[in-house]
Amino acid sequence: MIRKLLVTLLTFSLLASTSWAQTRTLQGTVTDAAGEALPGVNVIVRGTTTGTTTDSNGKYQLELPGSENALVFTFIGYKAATIDVGGRTVVDVVMEEDLTSLDEVVVVGYGTQREKDLTSAITTIKSEDISRTPAASAMQSLQGKVPGVQIVSSGAPGSSPTVRVRGVGSYPQVKGDQTPVGNEAPLYVVDGVFFDNIDFLNPNDIATISILKDASAAAIYGVRAANGVVLIETKSGKLNQKTRLTYDGYYGVQVAQNVLKMANSEQFATMAQESGSVADQTYILNAMQRYGRSRENPNVPNVNTDWYKEVLRPAPIQNHNLGVEGGSDKATYSLGASYFSQDGILDMQNSFERLNIRARTDFNVNDWITVGANFNMSNSTKYSPDDAVWNQAYFAVPIFPVYDEQNTAAFPIKFASAENIGYRGPQNPFPTMAFNNNRLQSRRVLANFYLKLDLIKDKLTFKSAYNSGSTFLRNREVDLPYFISTDGQRTISEVTKKNETYVNQIWDNVLTFDQTFGEHNVTVMAGTAFRDELYDMLTARGKGFPVTDEQSWYLAQSQEIPVTIDGAQARLVTDDGTHQYGFSYFGRIAYNYGDKYLLYGTFRADGSSKYQEKWGYFPTIGAGWVLSQENFLKGNSVVDFLKLRASWGKLGNDKVQASDGQATKSVITGVYGNSFVTGTYAKSTFAYLKWEVVEEVNVGLTSKFLGSRLSLEADYYVRNTENAVVPVNVPLIGGTVMQNVGVVQNAGLELALNWSDKIGDGIRYNVGFNMATLKNKATDLHGQPYIEGGSAEFRQRTYLNQPLQAFYGYRTDGVYQNQAQIEADPAAVAYNQANVSNPLVPGDLRFKDLNHDGVINASDREVIGSFLPKITWGVNLGASWKNFDLSVNLMGQNGAKILNRKRGELIWTTDGNLDADLAKNRWHGEGTSNKYPSAAGLRKGWNQKMSDYFVEKGDFFRIQNVQVGYTIKGNMLGTNFPDSRLSFTAERPLTVFKYNGFNPETPNGIDSQTYPIPAVYTVGLAVKF
Amino acid sequence: MKSIHKYLSLAAFLGMMLLTISCHDLLNEKAENRSYTDATDYTKSEDMINPLLGAYGEFQNRGWEDYPLISVRGDDVNAGGLGDQQEFANSDRYNYANTDYWMFNSVWQNLYNDILAANSAIEQVELYKEFAPNPALADQYMAEAKVLRAFLLLQLSRTWGRVYIPVTSDPTDLFEMKVSTKDEVMQFIADDMDAAAGQLPNLRPNQRDDIKGGVTRHTALAMKALANLELKNFQGVADATSAIIESGLFHLEDDYYNLFKIPGKLNDENLLEWQYWDSGVAGGTNLSYLFAFFGPEAWKPKVATAGGGWGFFEPSLKYIKFMLDRNEEKRLVTTVIFTPRGIDKIKEDPKYATLPSYVSVVTPSGDVFQDFAREMFLSGKHYLPSDQLTTGINDYGTNKNFICIRYAEILLMHAEARVQGASGSISADEAVNQVRDRAGLGHLSGVSLDNVLDEKYAEFATEWGTRYFDMLRYQRYDELSYEGRTFSADKTFLPYPQIQVDQLPALTESN
Repeated sequence: MIRKLLVTLLTFSLLASTSWAQTRTLQGTVTDAAGEALPGVNVIVRGTTTGTTTDSNGKYQLELPGSENALVFTFIGYKAATIDVGGRTVVDVVMEEDLTSLDEVVVVGYGTQREKDLTSAITTIKSEDISRTPAASAMQSLQGKVPGVQIVSSGAPGSSPTVRVRGVGSYPQVKGDQTPVGNEAPLYVVDGVFFDNIDFLNPNDIATISILKDASAAAIYGVRAANGVVLIETKSGKLNQKTRLTYDGYYGVQVAQNVLKMANSEQFATMAQESGSVADQTYILNAMQRYGRSRENPNVPNVNTDWYKEVLRPAPIQNHNLGVEGGSDKATYSLGASYFSQDGILDMQNSFERLNIRARTDFNVNDWITVGANFNMSNSTKYSPDDAVWNQAYFAVPIFPVYDEQNTAAFPIKFASAENIGYRGPQNPFPTMAFNNNRLQSRRVLANFYLKLDLIKDKLTFKSAYNSGSTFLRNREVDLPYFISTDGQRTISEVTKKNETYVNQIWDNVLTFDQTFGEHNVTVMAGTAFRDELYDMLTARGKGFPVTDEQSWYLAQSQEIPVTIDGAQARLVTDDGTHQYGFSYFGRIAYNYGDKYLLYGTFRADGSSKYQEKWGYFPTIGAGWVLSQENFLKGNSVVDFLKLRASWGKLGNDKVQASDGQATKSVITGVYGNSFVTGTYAKSTFAYLKWEVVEEVNVGLTSKFLGSRLSLEADYYVRNTENAVVPVNVPLIGGTVMQNVGVVQNAGLELALNWSDKIGDGIRYNVGFNMATLKNKATDLHGQPYIEGGSAEFRQRTYLNQPLQAFYGYRTDGVYQNQAQIEADPAAVAYNQANVSNPLVPGDLRFKDLNHDGVINASDREVIGSFLPKITWGVNLGASWKNFDLSVNLMGQNGAKILNRKRGELIWTTDGNLDADLAKNRWHGEGTSNKYPSAAGLRKGWNQKMSDYFVEKGDFFRIQNVQVGYTIKGNMLGTNFPDSRLSFTAERPLTVFKYNGFNPETPNGIDSQTYPIPAVYTVGLAVKF
Repeated sequence: MKSIHKYLSLAAFLGMMLLTISCHDLLNEKAENRSYTDATDYTKSEDMINPLLGAYGEFQNRGWEDYPLISVRGDDVNAGGLGDQQEFANSDRYNYANTDYWMFNSVWQNLYNDILAANSAIEQVELYKEFAPNPALADQYMAEAKVLRAFLLLQLSRTWGRVYIPVTSDPTDLFEMKVSTKDEVMQFIADDMDAAAGQLPNLRPNQRDDIKGGVTRHTALAMKALANLELKNFQGVADATSAIIESGLFHLEDDYYNLFKIPGKLNDENLLEWQYWDSGVAGGTNLSYLFAFFGPEAWKPKVATAGGGWGFFEPSLKYIKFMLDRNEEKRLVTTVIFTPRGIDKIKEDPKYATLPSYVSVVTPSGDVFQDFAREMFLSGKHYLPSDQLTTGINDYGTNKNFICIRYAEILLMHAEARVQGASGSISADEAVNQVRDRAGLGHLSGVSLDNVLDEKYAEFATEWGTRYFDMLRYQRYDELSYEGRTFSADKTFLPYPQIQVDQLPALTESN
């Protein structure tokens, strides 16, 4: 469309310059509000078809007939400007950006659509909103901005946030090491290539992120689309654009926020005294003997280690980006290089560094052939934290120090060990930090090439695109030898190397037909896609290499390369691979009648080699009615635009694991005399898995009011996941097996309200509010009363019409304050009669007898909360005045519950510390607490039952991002100084919540070793040459 | 120009369409890197041993919590680990109020997992059998898996009473299954072992070359005896034990102390053991039980780098005094390790104010034990002297085997059956005296049931709860009510783990 217009106008301008006498010559420059030259602006003499376009410097020249006296300037994305020429010969124009334009084109997958023609729920985020967030992954910047998209931040450098589009249809699965499988993650399509995450991309290289939220929008991606689709277009140049070089960068520091306060030595000693455990009291005596007594309180050791404070550090973050963009009348180009580096706030080798280089170019070879190519290379090195540290720092007792010169046997560093004061384990998290080194080097190359043919000029085009994404991962995990005490030692160095290769190729062929017959506008698209996804892995472990120099950390330098680990089933020297193919047919029809009535439909047939079931079919239809085009609203001064839309669609999810589909054998090693021999175990616990199918209905409204200053977008959806794959506990032997067990429903309302206006001439501002509700429930369980999940001790259950894998347990009803209360409670009396030797005493929790049968037993349990938030919301504010600009983002969520497993893990061992809140507010005499049990009670099985004592509210409010900018215009400091912008950003400066942990964001509601989310403060500079 | 453009475009378009459609066949490619169970070549008879080795591997690969929970009850041993694992300590004190306790469920699952592994081996070998040149070998392999299953099932039923007897490898079959009473389980084991014995080699486990230390006919007979003992079918016990005794293959190891150390691995006395090995070199592949559970929190080992443990599983004061009363040095210093605090504790009783010199904090191997808060005595049978550790390996107990059934138990079960009136190959006196000879004690004549039970107490303390089940069999609840405990018949079995009841409600319903 744009190109057509341009060509037409160019022709006109040529004609215009050669004819007509009695005219005046006018010239001028067209710029945007920032003073930037705008090339390609249409300049037309009012009331005629005569006109020209601005050149790459934003300059134009035009002959004005004597009878005319006004010019109309139009440019997509800007408000049209009509200028009376008067007697002038030079007319410079500043175009005002039209922030609420509906003519904007939205990427919809294998094509584009005008925003006003959409019948489905798509939200697009632009580069300015992305680059404001200092983070490795662009997805982090979406937090609180897109209703219905939940972003769960991750604090570790270089790690991606968890992204959920419209609730959880697919239960989040984790691997053995607690890393997510990603089956609930959306599909990322970066310039046509499918990815599982986009943490390799430089956020600055992204032009737009479009989130296809509902099934109707996403269905064109078929079997991959069930969790929503995120379409990413990288930056490209524009035709007739002056070459522009920009530098964009920031430097800042990350600081741990909301650090959990642990019990100090005094509180810890008090708890130990009150626990009644002689052993624990002995350890405190031992600590006093070894480290002396505190001068303030002689009953407390003279050590008070705040382990979290010890393991944390402020850490720098920086990004530098250089970009070149431009275009002639035949070609466009965009090049860039960027460097990002981030250290972790955990005080070990914990960092992320990334270098990206990209190039993109498009050529109009002639009037019917267009070709283009795009390369994006990303090179990164990540030193991963050992997350066990978070857990160790929580449990390490405060009564021993980090270093201990008396610990003479320790090497190579004299770290202290809790074993030296009697504890069973060394506890000190420092060896974990100092003697582990986990490095991941990633190389990713994204490359594509396309050829576009105009079969019938402006009507029928054919595009063939070959896209490939290759990832090469080199993983090295090194464990170095050390000794701090007998149970805190590693005698031999170990290195695990793992090389992984992913090569994904996609070949798309798309035919698009675009035709207008009077009021009827039709776009038909049909295409095929072939996918080839290859994965290959090779790993081995070496033991006993020289440790001093990193250059010796090789298998070849090792004394031994063991084949299996201590007789376990897993082989250490092993490889793996998958090769999956997919083939798809897809098509789309979009029809609109007079921009008033909209119809939309897509269909995709997906074939996959991953499942026994080879083919899946995914249709969608949508319809829209633009009320504002009807006579009764046309010209209405309040309503500028009003559209009602509805859609239905079906999607598939093939991210659920494939391997369980058949019975498989595992290899087991046994000992027979002085030899190891392996055998096999053919397990019967497997499921015949099918892909999940999502069906969704979405109704929505898009509207603009009051001169497009107010916009309201609302959507309501009901999304059903059939054959939802859920981990089901296996009876008798435990463990879980994935099964397609029923139907999971997510439903919610999404609202986005925006107001933008200006006060006087100087101040422009906008206020946005968005929110989303979520109701998640199982609507069919294939006839079972419930599905058992979670772990045996921390149970989660799925009941009909209750949230998926909700926490399940007892309800507490305060704490028994005195003996009289116990004697007055029939349930306590019954318990004490049956357990004479271990009765309930004041300080124990009181549980609700939900079925009123006079005893507390398994039938008094119920659903006590879900890990999914019921409401998420965000507020976005922006303002500019003269050269200053300000933006503020707020966000929050309500209704999610978190299992505080750190407190819960006391059931495994009592050897650790507890958080200060628990220590301070424990029950220690009548009236001291009606919430927490006594120190002795914490160790008692009665109080360790899964109950709402462990399950806390995850509600929070956060100031997500505040940025203040100041723009220095070139002409302010004299000529030739480039335009610059200086900015200060505070990312997550404040989070308010009640949960007793570092942060209320956990991917699956279970908090045992979550990396804290830091606040980030940065100074940024952007310079345009 | 115009027409060329059209044709070229059309040709390119059609060409690409044809090319892409030819990719269709790739959808039928199989997934990479899998050994499909349905693709196993059952005609390859040399692979028939693999499923059996898998069952053995699972059998040896034990969670540390299994043995403690099975064995902690009874007047021979206490929980230890003071201040920690309170529900484990409560189980030791016959207080099972918390059905959600993780250890109950974990042990249940671990035992059943390996029963299903044995069943899977039986199913797989059955598939090989059709093509095996020597079908008797297939029968032998299946019989071996049945013996492993019997051992695990016996532990389950002794601990929980009524349990499931799974006969397939698919746990979902349980949903339709009936729960069996303890007597039914024991009868199932006795019958199953009767059939299996005939298919197994007439060897000692350490005489087997194909599967070193694997089960033999005599292991099956031992299982038959153990099951019959639970049923109080004493003739059944005597028949099985007589057959083992008459084989002449088994002998008591002279060095009782070292039977539980490295020299005792695959000893002629052992009918079944969990085998472990560390490759004989630091850094090599290492399979071990987690003996740290039994280890000291503080000691001065002869080899200074040797690691300690968690301080659980404490032999009872009652047992120590019982042994002191008998003046049994050999079996006491093998079974019990003393700490300074422990010795003081014994001396608190004026009757034991002076102790024989062998009651020492120094073990016969020269490791010195110190005080720590969790317990006063340690289990000697689960201790490996620091100088027997492979150089460079420091984890407590590494490379030690774990004995499950030994010949002494065969002899004493035989004696028990004989004093209960069963006929058998040797007399009760002869059987008991063989065991006493090795312990360095004088002979008894005309042994009574009490003599046999005392002998078992002395011999098997801290092993497999043997003492507890002996006392249950004769309802000697007063013996079990010791050191502040009160035992009653309703405390016999542990409660079912809550999550199992939730998933298999039939467990708590009566049949």
